[in-house]
Amino acid sequence: MNDSVLTPPVKEYLLAFADDEHLMGQQHTEWIGVAPFLEEDMAFASIGQDELGHALMLYTLILECPSGIDTYVFNRKSEEWRSCQLVESTHRRWEEALIRHWCYDMAEDLRWELFSDSSLPELISISERALKEETYHRRHAEALVENLLMVPDSKLRLMNALEVVVPQVLGLFSPIPGEEEAISCGVVSGKYSDLLPIWRTRLEERFGVLDSGLFIQADNENRTQRHSDFDYLFGRIREVFLLDPKAVW
Amino acid sequence: MTSNNSTSIQDIHTAINTVNDPEYPGISIVDLGLLENIEINTAYEVLVELIPTFSGCPALGVIAQDIEEVVRGVPGVKKVDVQWLNTPVWTVDRITAKAKEDLAENFTVAVQINERVECPRCKSMTDKKSHFGPSRCRSIHLCRNCREVIEVLRD
Repeated sequence: MNDSVLTPPVKEYLLAFADDEHLMGQQHTEWIGVAPFLEEDMAFASIGQDELGHALMLYTLILECPSGIDTYVFNRKSEEWRSCQLVESTHRRWEEALIRHWCYDMAEDLRWELFSDSSLPELISISERALKEETYHRRHAEALVENLLMVPDSKLRLMNALEVVVPQVLGLFSPIPGEEEAISCGVVSGKYSDLLPIWRTRLEERFGVLDSGLFIQADNENRTQRHSDFDYLFGRIREVFLLDPKAVW
Repeated sequence: MTSNNSTSIQDIHTAINTVNDPEYPGISIVDLGLLENIEINTAYEVLVELIPTFSGCPALGVIAQDIEEVVRGVPGVKKVDVQWLNTPVWTVDRITAKAKEDLAENFTVAVQINERVECPRCKSMTDKKSHFGPSRCRSIHLCRNCREVIEVLRD
């Protein structure tokens, strides 16, 4: 199935998206039971569940072997992940987690839309499903942020959180391994990094014009190096799996 | 791949109809609109295609397992393959009238067809309290009249 298009570079390209979704989903679920109020607890759980679902659809497509997904995902070496540092880093302040949720989901629909005309029919249907689910994510992030920006103390916290999170978002938009190959065979219609200006417009329409220093592409993040928080997160992800790696779930 | 043996497809459909949603005992996954297609070939190998409510629903594994088990129990069936499809996307329109009645009657659960959601108990209007509820496919409403907390199934 799709052997002609699903070449190793294309798989690596799709893996970056799958890994981002997986880790973003995991990060959201870390707030279960400890979010500041019950509605947010449930919202983060549900949104995280969607992201994990998206990751599962992508892993299934890449691996073409659903039964091997757990082994593949949980046994990978850290250097084999292609996630970006935005989703790997631990944000223990609620406002940073919320701002990351806003920033990530305001960037995610742009990423899915790149597949709406893909040469891989499965990707078209996966993106259609994901885009429908994503409308709720953006609506939730927007509603909460809009209300909190009206409270001076909350606004200050959100603006401070932006200074931490926005530079990490630039890594999300950095060039993705395998992207050129994926474009040349029609799997994806263009470069994700070209959409950064659209995301920045959304950001500044919501929060006002931000310090341009936040938008200087920091180091040469290329998704092959892990954030220092990755080991902690990966440990959390594998905690139950490692109790009995051969168990069937 | 589809055979003309309509009796067998009907038998398989009947078997699948006995599989209930893990969270709503007595409500069939067929009535919830999860079953999309059944195929059977001349070697009596069965393919069941399902649609998830949401891509990350944790019940998918259990539902697929239950279906595999009941279909395997249909006389003559040699092999069962259960697949979750990415398209079409599930919506509440796929829920049958019978399931809607049973959800209201037995679980005090309403189904969100439009913005107006009636209380399953007293038929009064409800207000949405939280878009996200106890699971991904449910919101929380409150009845204006009887103050019952209502789970609302939504897409």
